[in-house]
Amino acid sequence: MAKDTSLILMIFLPFIGSAMAAFFPSNARNAEAWLAGAVTVCGLVLASMCYPAIVAEGPVRAQIEWLPTLGLNFTLRMDGFAWLFAMLVSGIGFLVVLYARYYMSPEDPIPRFYAFFLAFMGAMLGIVLSGNLILLVVFWELTSIFSFLLIGYWYHNANARDGARMALTVTGIGGLCLLAGVLLIGHIVGSYDLDVVLASGDLIRSSDLYLPALILFLLGALTKSAQFPFHFWLPNAMAAPTPVSAYLHSATMVKAGVFLMARFWPVLAGTYEWFWIVGFAGMASLLLGAYFAIFQRDIKGLLAYSTISHLGLITLLLSLGSPLGLIAAIFHMTNHATFKASLFMAAGIIDHETGTRDMQRLGGLFRFMPFTATLAMVASAAMAGVPLLNGFLSKEMFFAEAIETHADSILDRVAPYVAVLASAFAVTYSIRFIHGVFFGKLPDDLPREPHEPPFLMRFPIQLLVLTCLVVGIVPGLTIGPFLHTAVTSVLGLATPEYSLAIWHGVTLPLLMSFLALLGGALLYLLLKNYLAHCEEGPPYFRQLKGQRIFERVMVAVSWRGARFLENRLGTRRLQPQLRLLVAVALIAAAWPLYHMSFGLAAFSWNLDDAVFSGLWAIGIFCAVGAAYQAKFHRLVALIFLGGAGLVTCTTFVWFSAPDLAVTQLLVEIVTTVLILLGLRWLPKRSEEFQTDAIRMAARLRRYRDLAIAVAAGGGMTLVAYAVMTRAAPPTIADYFLEKAYTEGGGRNVVNVILVDFRGFDTFGEITVLGIVALTVFSLFRRFRPAPDSVESPEQQRVQNATDEARPDRTAGETVSDYLLIPAVIMQWLFPVIIVLAAYLFFRGHDLPGGGFAAGVAMAAAFILQYLAAGTRWVEDRLRVLPLNWIGFGLLLAALVGMGSWLFGYPFLTSHSQYVELPLIGSIPVASAILFDLGVFSLVLGATVLMLIAFAHQSVRRLRASRIAAAEEETA
Amino acid sequence: MAVEPGKIVDVTAAMITAPVTATDWLVIAPVVIPILFGALLLMFRHEMRWHGIVALIGLGAMVGTEVALLLHVLANGPLSMTMGSWLPPFGISFTADALGATFALTSGIVAFICAIFAIRDINVSGRRYGFYPFLMLLMAGVSGAFLTGDIFNLYVWFEVFVISSFGLLILGSEKAQIDGATKYAILNLVATTLFLIATGYLYGTFGTLNMADIARKAEGLRGTAPLMTLASLYLLAFGMKAAAFPVNFWLPASYHTPRIVTAALFGGLLTKIGVYALLRTLVMLFPVERSVLADLIGWVAILTMVLGVMGALAQSDTRRIFGFLVISGVGVMLAGLALGTQTGLSGAILYAVHSMLVMTALYLLTGMMKELGGSFSLRELAGLYRSTPLLTAIALVLALAVAGLPPGSGLWPKVLLVKASLEANQWALAGAVLLSGFLTTIALGRVFILAFWRDREASAPKAQATNTASPILGYGVLLALMVPIVVLGVYPEPFIKIADIAASGLLHNAGYISAVFPVGGG
Repeated sequence: MAKDTSLILMIFLPFIGSAMAAFFPSNARNAEAWLAGAVTVCGLVLASMCYPAIVAEGPVRAQIEWLPTLGLNFTLRMDGFAWLFAMLVSGIGFLVVLYARYYMSPEDPIPRFYAFFLAFMGAMLGIVLSGNLILLVVFWELTSIFSFLLIGYWYHNANARDGARMALTVTGIGGLCLLAGVLLIGHIVGSYDLDVVLASGDLIRSSDLYLPALILFLLGALTKSAQFPFHFWLPNAMAAPTPVSAYLHSATMVKAGVFLMARFWPVLAGTYEWFWIVGFAGMASLLLGAYFAIFQRDIKGLLAYSTISHLGLITLLLSLGSPLGLIAAIFHMTNHATFKASLFMAAGIIDHETGTRDMQRLGGLFRFMPFTATLAMVASAAMAGVPLLNGFLSKEMFFAEAIETHADSILDRVAPYVAVLASAFAVTYSIRFIHGVFFGKLPDDLPREPHEPPFLMRFPIQLLVLTCLVVGIVPGLTIGPFLHTAVTSVLGLATPEYSLAIWHGVTLPLLMSFLALLGGALLYLLLKNYLAHCEEGPPYFRQLKGQRIFERVMVAVSWRGARFLENRLGTRRLQPQLRLLVAVALIAAAWPLYHMSFGLAAFSWNLDDAVFSGLWAIGIFCAVGAAYQAKFHRLVALIFLGGAGLVTCTTFVWFSAPDLAVTQLLVEIVTTVLILLGLRWLPKRSEEFQTDAIRMAARLRRYRDLAIAVAAGGGMTLVAYAVMTRAAPPTIADYFLEKAYTEGGGRNVVNVILVDFRGFDTFGEITVLGIVALTVFSLFRRFRPAPDSVESPEQQRVQNATDEARPDRTAGETVSDYLLIPAVIMQWLFPVIIVLAAYLFFRGHDLPGGGFAAGVAMAAAFILQYLAAGTRWVEDRLRVLPLNWIGFGLLLAALVGMGSWLFGYPFLTSHSQYVELPLIGSIPVASAILFDLGVFSLVLGATVLMLIAFAHQSVRRLRASRIAAAEEETA
Repeated sequence: MAVEPGKIVDVTAAMITAPVTATDWLVIAPVVIPILFGALLLMFRHEMRWHGIVALIGLGAMVGTEVALLLHVLANGPLSMTMGSWLPPFGISFTADALGATFALTSGIVAFICAIFAIRDINVSGRRYGFYPFLMLLMAGVSGAFLTGDIFNLYVWFEVFVISSFGLLILGSEKAQIDGATKYAILNLVATTLFLIATGYLYGTFGTLNMADIARKAEGLRGTAPLMTLASLYLLAFGMKAAAFPVNFWLPASYHTPRIVTAALFGGLLTKIGVYALLRTLVMLFPVERSVLADLIGWVAILTMVLGVMGALAQSDTRRIFGFLVISGVGVMLAGLALGTQTGLSGAILYAVHSMLVMTALYLLTGMMKELGGSFSLRELAGLYRSTPLLTAIALVLALAVAGLPPGSGLWPKVLLVKASLEANQWALAGAVLLSGFLTTIALGRVFILAFWRDREASAPKAQATNTASPILGYGVLLALMVPIVVLGVYPEPFIKIADIAASGLLHNAGYISAVFPVGGG
C-alpha cells in the first residue's frame, strides 16, 4: 500500500468506525469492541508499515486538495516524532478498547461510547499527523469536543456535566487562542504548511509579532496540557468513565499540548520569553501538581494531579531550550503514557471491584487482588522514578538538565531544588496510593466484595507494566532506535549525543534521585496519620481551588455580568429605544458635518414665496399639532393631520402637479375616514392619568424628548437645505419630463412614471399596499376591543332609550332614520362615483388620474355605501370580495410584466397605441393600461379590505347572536 | 414600439432595442414567481389544504431560478435587466452579481425548508390568516432586495418584506405577539423612513437612483460632506435592519413571539438583508466614506458581537438566546465590513450564508425541542438526550456550527475574518471574533447541558411533551438543513470561492457597472 494512502486511512478509519459504531444496537458490546479493536489495530499496522520509509527517507506525506483558496490543503505528514505519537495513540487506544469492553456496564449506552472514542482517536491522530497548521487546529478543536462528550458520558451525573463544561470552556478558549496564534504565525511566514513553518524559525523569532504569536500559541498548548494556571479542569474531568481518563486525560489528549510545544520547539523555543512563560508554567505545575496529588482522597484525583505534575515536568524540560531537554521531554512523554495509563486502568479495576475510589475507605486489597496490586505497584514505582523502570530514566535525564544553567535567572537557579522536591512529592503520593489501597487494615464497609478482574481486563495493564520494565531495564534495545528517529525528526542535524543507559556512574542526578526517594518516603511516614483522616485537598490551599475561581468567574461573566449589561444597555421598552434611535440618527448626520464643511449656501428670503411659506407654516403647525395632541385627543390630532395633508395637496398643485394632488387628496380622504372608523375601537383615556399634577421627572423627560425632536427635525431640514441648494446635477427627472409622451405614450408625467418608467416600483408598492391590507385584516380578525369600547356608543344608547320610552317607536328606529336623506344620496352616488373612477382610470395616461386614483375613488364609493346603509345591507346586495380583487390585481400586474417576455423585451415593457372606441373616442391603449387595471383592482381591494375589517368588527357581535338564534330555531 | 403617428421619436436613444435573451429573465424571476404564487394563494385562500403544496411549488420554482441565476453569474459575471426596456439609468435595473445571487439563493433555500416545516407547524388558523401568501410576498421582497440595482427600488423591496414580516409576526394575534410586533413595526418603520430620507438626499446629490450610475458618479464627489452624511445615514438605517448595536433592541423584543417557523425565517433572513444593504452601499457605492467610518464600524461590530452573546448568556428562553446569537452573528459580519479588505469581506459574506442556514436551523431546533420537551425555557427543558438522541446529535452539530468549531460551518468565515483582522493589525476585531465564538460556546453549552444532558427528574415534571403529530417531518427538515451546514463545515471550498468572487465584485465594481452600462457606459 502506498504510504500516502496509509496516512489518509489512519485518519479516516477511526471516523468511519465512529460513524458505524453509532448505529450499532445498544446491547452489541462485543461487536462494538471488535470494531473499535479492529480500527485501532489497523492504525497500529498502518503506522508500523510507514516506519521503514521514515527511517530511510524522512517524513512520509500525503495530500488531498481541500481548500486551495484558503491556502489550506489536507496535508498529512508523518516523521519520527509523529510516528512515535501515532503508535502511542493507536497502541494505547487498542488496550483501552480491550479494557473498556469489561469496564463498561451493559446498562451504559455502548454505541455512543465507542463512537465518541473512535472519533476522538481520529482527531488525535489528526493532530499528530497534520502537515498544515490550520488543519491541526481543526483536529485540535475536535479533540476538545469529543473530550467534552466523553467526560459527560454519564450525563445524568451533575459532576460529569460540570466537569465536561469546564473542560470544554478551558480547552475551548485555548483552542481559539491557538487558532489566532497559528494565523499569526501563518501571517509571519506566509504559509500554513508545517514544513515551511518549521523551516522559518529565525523569521518567526525575529518578527515583531513573535511575542503575541507565542503567547496565543502557548495559551492553546498550556490549557490543553492542563498546565498551571489552567490545570483545574483536569481533576474535574475525572468524572468521565475510567477508560476515558486513561486514554484522553493521561495518555493522549493532555499530551497534545506538550506534543505541540515539542513540535514547534525548533521554531519558537530558545528565546527568553519562551523560557520564562513555559518554564514558569511547567515548574508551577510540576510542584503544585505533585503537592496537591498527595492530599487527594480519590484515586483518580491523585492520578490527575500527578498527571499535571508530570506534564509540568515535560513542559519545564521543553522550556530550557536545550536539545537534551527536548530528548528527555519526548522520552518522558512516552514513559508517562505507559505507566499512567496502566495506573488509571488499575484505579478503574479497584473502583469496579469495590465500588469506591476513596483511599480513606479502601485498604488491604492486596489479599483480594494480588495480581492487580503487583501491577499497580510496579507502575507506581515507575511514576515515583524508582530505578530499573522507565520513569527513572527520564527523570534522571530531567535532573541532569535541571542542574545545567540555561538562561541565568531565578527560575534556573531554583530548578534543581524544585525538581528534587517535586520528585519527593511524587514518591510520597505513589506510596500513599499503594499503601492506602493495597495494604493496611481491611475495609469493612465496601459496597462490593472485591476480587480479581477477568484476565482480559487486566491484560492491558500487564502489557503496559511490562513495557515499563523492559524499557527501564534495556532502554537501548527497546525504545532507543524509535526515540532516536523521533528526536532527529524534530532536531534534525542539531541532535546531540545522548545516552539512554541506566548506569552513568555515581553522578549528581543519581544522588538527587535517591534523595527524592528517601525524602518522599520520610514525608509519607510523617503524613500517614494525617492523610488517613484529612479532608479532600491540600492544607491551606484547600480554599483556593481553581475550580471555584473558575465557577465564580463564569457566574460573574456569563450570568451576573450579562444580566447587568442587559439591564443597563438593553431595554424592552419602546420609548427609550426610539429616543436612542433618533439620537443616534442625529449623531450620524451631524458627525460628517463636524468633520467636513457642507458648503451651505447663504440663506435668502424671497418675498414671492410669502404665500407659499404661509401655507407651509400652516402645514407645519398642523403636523406639530397632530403630534402634540395624538396621545390624548385623537380626534383633534386627526383633524390636524387632515390639515397637514391638505397643505401637501396644495403644494403639489402649487408646483403644477395636479395629478399628484388628485391622488393625494383621494388618499387623504379615504385614510381619514378609515382612521375615524378605527377611533371608535380605541380605549378611553384612563382616569388616573387625567390629573394635572405631572411629576417633575416626567416633565423633564418630556423637555428632553422635545429637545431631541427639535434638534433632529432641524438637522433634517438643514441637510435637506444643503442638498437642495447645491448645484443641481443632471437628473433623470429631466429625462422623464422630456420622454413621458414620446416614449411612454402619455402626457401625465406622474402616471407615466408610475406605470411605465418606474412601473416596477409601482409593482412593488402595490404589493406593499396589498400586504398592508392583509395585515390589517388578519390583525382585526382576532381583535378584541378594550372593555370600555365594547358597548354601543353613547349616542346610540340615548336614542334607543328615547325610542323605548315612547310607545309608538321600537328601539333602533331613530338610529336607522338618522341622516336618512344624506344616506339616500350617498347610496345614489354609487354609480356616479363608479363613472368618475372609470373616467379617472381611462384618462390617467394623459391627464390627472390613473389606476391608483381610480382605485381610491372606487373605494370611496364603497365606503359611502357602508356608511350610509350599514354593513349587512351592503353585503346582502353586493359581492364584496376584496381579497380576490387584491389577488387578481397582483396577478394581472405580474402577468402583464411577464407578457413582454413573449416579445423578447424586458419585464414590464409597455406597448402603446391609441384605439378608436365608439362614443368615447380615441383613447390611449398601452399595455400599461392593463397594468393600471391591476393597480386599480389591488388598490380597490386593499382599501375595501381595510374598510370591512372595521365594518365587521361592529357586525361580529350581532352575527354571533344571530347564529345563536338560528341554532335555537333549528333545535 | 408604436407611437402616435406623426411624432418623430428617436427611439434608440432611450430604449433597449435588442431583444433580451431568456437568461436575462433569471434576474427578475425570483421576484415575480413568489408574487404570482402569492397572488394565486390570495385568490384561492379558502382551499387551505392546497396552500402548502402551492407555496412549495412556487418556492421550488424560485429556488430553481436562483440556482440557474447564480450559476450564470458565476460563469458570465453580473447579469442586469432594466425594466420596461428603458436604458439605464432611466428605467429600474435589476442587477445580480455573485453577492446578490448567493444571498438570494441561500434565502430561497431557507424559505423552502421553512415552508416544508410550516406544513406541520402552521395550523388551519394560521393558514386562514394568510401565512402562505405572507411567506410568498416576504420572499418576493427578500429576493427583490438582493437583486435590485436601483436604490429606491431597494427601498420598495424593503417595504415589501418589512410589511410582510409584520403580517407574519402578528399571525395569531397573541398579546405577546402584538407587543413584540408593535416595537418591531415602529422601530423598523423609523429605520425604513430614515432610509427613504437618505435616498432623497442621495437623489438630490446625484440626480440618479441607479446604483451602477451612482458608483460611477461618486468618483467625482469623493470626500465631500454630502457623501459622508449619506454613508453614515445608510450605516444607521441598514445597521438597524441588521440589528447592530446600539439600535438592535427591536430584535430581542420581537423574535421570540411569533410561530417558530416565522422566527426561523426571520432569524435566518431579515438581519442579513441589512448586512447585504450595508455591503452594497458602503463598500460598492461609498468605499472612501466606508474607510473613514471604518473605526466606528469596527467598534460597532465589536460591541454587537460581544454584547449580543452576553445577552444570550443572560436569557433562559431558548428563543431569546438564539435571538441574541443572531445579533452577535451580525457583529461578526460587520467586522468584515469594518475591515473592507478582500479577505475580510469574503469572510463576512461567507458568514452571512452560514448564518442564514444556521440561525434558521437553530429556531427550527427550538421548535422541535418545544414539541418534544414541552417548553422553550431552560428552566423546564430536560432529558432530551435520553429521549431524542437524533435531535441531540443535530443540536450538537448546530451548536458547533454556530460557535465556529469544527466540523461546523462557522469556523471558516471566522478563520477568514481573524486572518484579515490580523493582516490589517486590527487586534481588537480579531479578539472580539474569537471571544464571541468562545462565549457562544458557553451559551450553547449551557443549552446543551441543561436541555439535553440534565435528567428530567431534576426539574419539575410540569414540562410535558406536546407533540401529537409525528416528528418525522420536522426531523427530515432539520436534517435537510444540516446538509449544507455540514458541507460548509467539511468542504467549504466552493463556498469560499463564491464568497471571494462576491467580495471582489464589491471592491472592483467595474463588472457590475459594465453589466448595467455595456459598451463603455451609457
